[in-house]
Amino acid sequence: MKHEIVCAGIGGRGVLLASTILIEAAIKSGLKAMASDEYGMSQRGGSVVSLVKVGDYASPFIGRERGDILLAFEESEFYKTLTFLKRGGLALVNTRAAALGPSVEAVLKERRIAHRLIDADGIARDEEMFQSANMALLGAFASFGIGPFRREVLEATIRARVPEKFLAKNLAVFGKGYKAAESKT
Amino acid sequence: MDIEREVVIGNQAMARGLVEAGLEIAAAYPGTPSSEILPGVVYFKNREGLKIHTEWSSNELCAFEVAFGAAAYGGARAACFMKQVGLNVAFPALLKAREKALEGGLVIVSCDDPGPQSSQTEQDTRLLAALYGIPVFDPASPEEAADVAYHALNWSFKNKVPVIIRSTHRVSHARQSIDLYKPGARNVTLREGVCAGQGRELGIVASGMSYSLVSDVIEELGAADDVSLYKVLRVYPPSEDLSEFVESMEKVLVVEETDMVIESLIGMRHKVMGRADGTVPSSGEITYDIVRDMLSRILQGRDKVKPFIPDRSIEAALSDIAVTPRPPKLCPGCPHRAAFFAMQHIWPDAIFPGDIGCYTLGISQGSVDTCLDMGAGVTLAEGFYDAFYQDGKLVPILASVGDSTFLHACLAPLYDAVRNRKRFILVVMDNSTTAMTGMQPTPQTGVTIDGVATRGVAIENIAAGLGVKYLKIVDPYDVPLTIKTLRDAFQYLQGDDMLPAVVITRRECLLLSKGKEQNAAYPVRLVEGCIGCKSCFGTLDCPAISFDAGAKKIRIDDSICTNCGICYYACPVQPEGKNLKQYKEPGRAKQK
Repeated sequence: MKHEIVCAGIGGRGVLLASTILIEAAIKSGLKAMASDEYGMSQRGGSVVSLVKVGDYASPFIGRERGDILLAFEESEFYKTLTFLKRGGLALVNTRAAALGPSVEAVLKERRIAHRLIDADGIARDEEMFQSANMALLGAFASFGIGPFRREVLEATIRARVPEKFLAKNLAVFGKGYKAAESKT
Repeated sequence: MDIEREVVIGNQAMARGLVEAGLEIAAAYPGTPSSEILPGVVYFKNREGLKIHTEWSSNELCAFEVAFGAAAYGGARAACFMKQVGLNVAFPALLKAREKALEGGLVIVSCDDPGPQSSQTEQDTRLLAALYGIPVFDPASPEEAADVAYHALNWSFKNKVPVIIRSTHRVSHARQSIDLYKPGARNVTLREGVCAGQGRELGIVASGMSYSLVSDVIEELGAADDVSLYKVLRVYPPSEDLSEFVESMEKVLVVEETDMVIESLIGMRHKVMGRADGTVPSSGEITYDIVRDMLSRILQGRDKVKPFIPDRSIEAALSDIAVTPRPPKLCPGCPHRAAFFAMQHIWPDAIFPGDIGCYTLGISQGSVDTCLDMGAGVTLAEGFYDAFYQDGKLVPILASVGDSTFLHACLAPLYDAVRNRKRFILVVMDNSTTAMTGMQPTPQTGVTIDGVATRGVAIENIAAGLGVKYLKIVDPYDVPLTIKTLRDAFQYLQGDDMLPAVVITRRECLLLSKGKEQNAAYPVRLVEGCIGCKSCFGTLDCPAISFDAGAKKIRIDDSICTNCGICYYACPVQPEGKNLKQYKEPGRAKQK
């Protein structure tokens, strides 16, 4: 089983934690996994891309139009990283918008890319956990049950990773993200 | 027996390998992408309950000499860690040290930065190693980096010469699960030689992360039947098998980062494709797409190969979408931003020699003109001063440097400025940490890497000790005071002392003070009173400020704004900004 996952967002918003959870969930399930992070020079507010490859690969890099899954933790980073996604891939985008622009919707349709728009920031804000939008998007991703990334595996990994103090709220945000994606199917 | 496994980055993997190989002494100066190795050693020594001396040094030369002293004369198993340009700082000692028969073992880890992503220049550690005959390894993954580190320290101990491990940021910062062995028990099999496809038409020689990339691309393109792939792990001295491999092939492509080292060692230009003949780009990082394009081109027409053709309809569909560009910027609320604003406000066309650190980003505020190497901000200022002063001009020259870089490289330059009667303003931007590389303590902090309190040294005492007389410390958030102080400093330069003036702008890095109370100055008035002039954009370059083209007003991103309130000073309609106008000085027109 092989998966190439692109996590894209901005610094200080938990993109790297999300990709760590993905790689650890895969390893927990007995798979090989590797990740590579790109965060440039700015510590906060800059573009962050983390590539996760699960399965028998030598490198953690993903080529143009090779990614199976794109998790976009910020809408404009989604546009910057869309070329990573292969024909027939899956994109989850954190946005308040109900639809993307017509030209984007058209190209996604033409490339048979399934996409789900999730208001991860809104979900996190409702739980007063503004910094936890990453958990909402991970929850949404869990609703697809792809490979090792099932709800129970991801939840167990979050339990092992997130400090006790924030755990209950993070899991609540994760659960709401899961429901939000499920209700849109 | 169950082997323990853990997800680590390449730098931690090397730390683990060294700890398992009986490391006794380790020293480093932080520098991206090498900074996590020494903390990795600390983490694993504590975990295993081992006694290993670890220390942050003031610069790479100090780190190297500590490790070399321990290894050469003390018989210890030692290591030092640095980034590629840090190796230049350690170079004088390295050159002599390579000749010395060690009593112990010495591993130098030097991390290269192809691109470069976080360095002033690309540089290939392997080139230096090969040039001066120092054994050098080039691991292809974190997993392999752990094995190589273990092997290298043992090998050095046995053979009595120093060994270099060259990592790149793509190895140092890749994350992977590695096996953790008990000290001394690691089972290492080094992978070097033909890894796939014997005797095919095209040979590919690759090392480091480039090897891993090539392997993945060959699989994607379905080219496994068409190429023989040779993996190089020890770049110098090269294995004889490598020349035999190249001789046996009709055509050979060499893929390596960053310079042509293996390619030069192989020679045989008539059959070798690589950087020399332009097949591989002459600089920059080797990415997945570059390797794929290259192999698609070379292997075009083979039966099973499916060359990659990009679908440009994606770009076409995105062409109308306004995407927020996110170039590297100082964090919202960064104290450096306030200091740069003050410098720029008084003398927009002063000369601003800069230095290496977060504050190099002051270039976007027009307050940094140069970025040469660590410490050069001060010495370049001296050169600029002389060039103008010979013509009888005293122009404002404002050099900037961070606290860690000041202690790394600026002591001798500042003393030179004192004894040679140079007149310029040195702004030491003291945020109490080595921020860019991940918040390591500086010699001023007064704490060791193990968290033990030690005697810290204050920058103001050093400056005074070096003979500086004009010495002020200000809070850069107090913009009017900073501006007044800088003007006062320039007045001083026009007096009789013939000495540089030092202004320390001191405020803790926001990443350190996270969670502590900040100035409650959320810029509500800024948005309400905004006239759409965009002044705050250019002078501050703050990631929290954007422009709302519809409303013709600026917009504050409240999720990242830290309420520092510096933007009020950059606004021509707010009272804070209006009050500052009196401090502007007309100057030379900047030569662009």
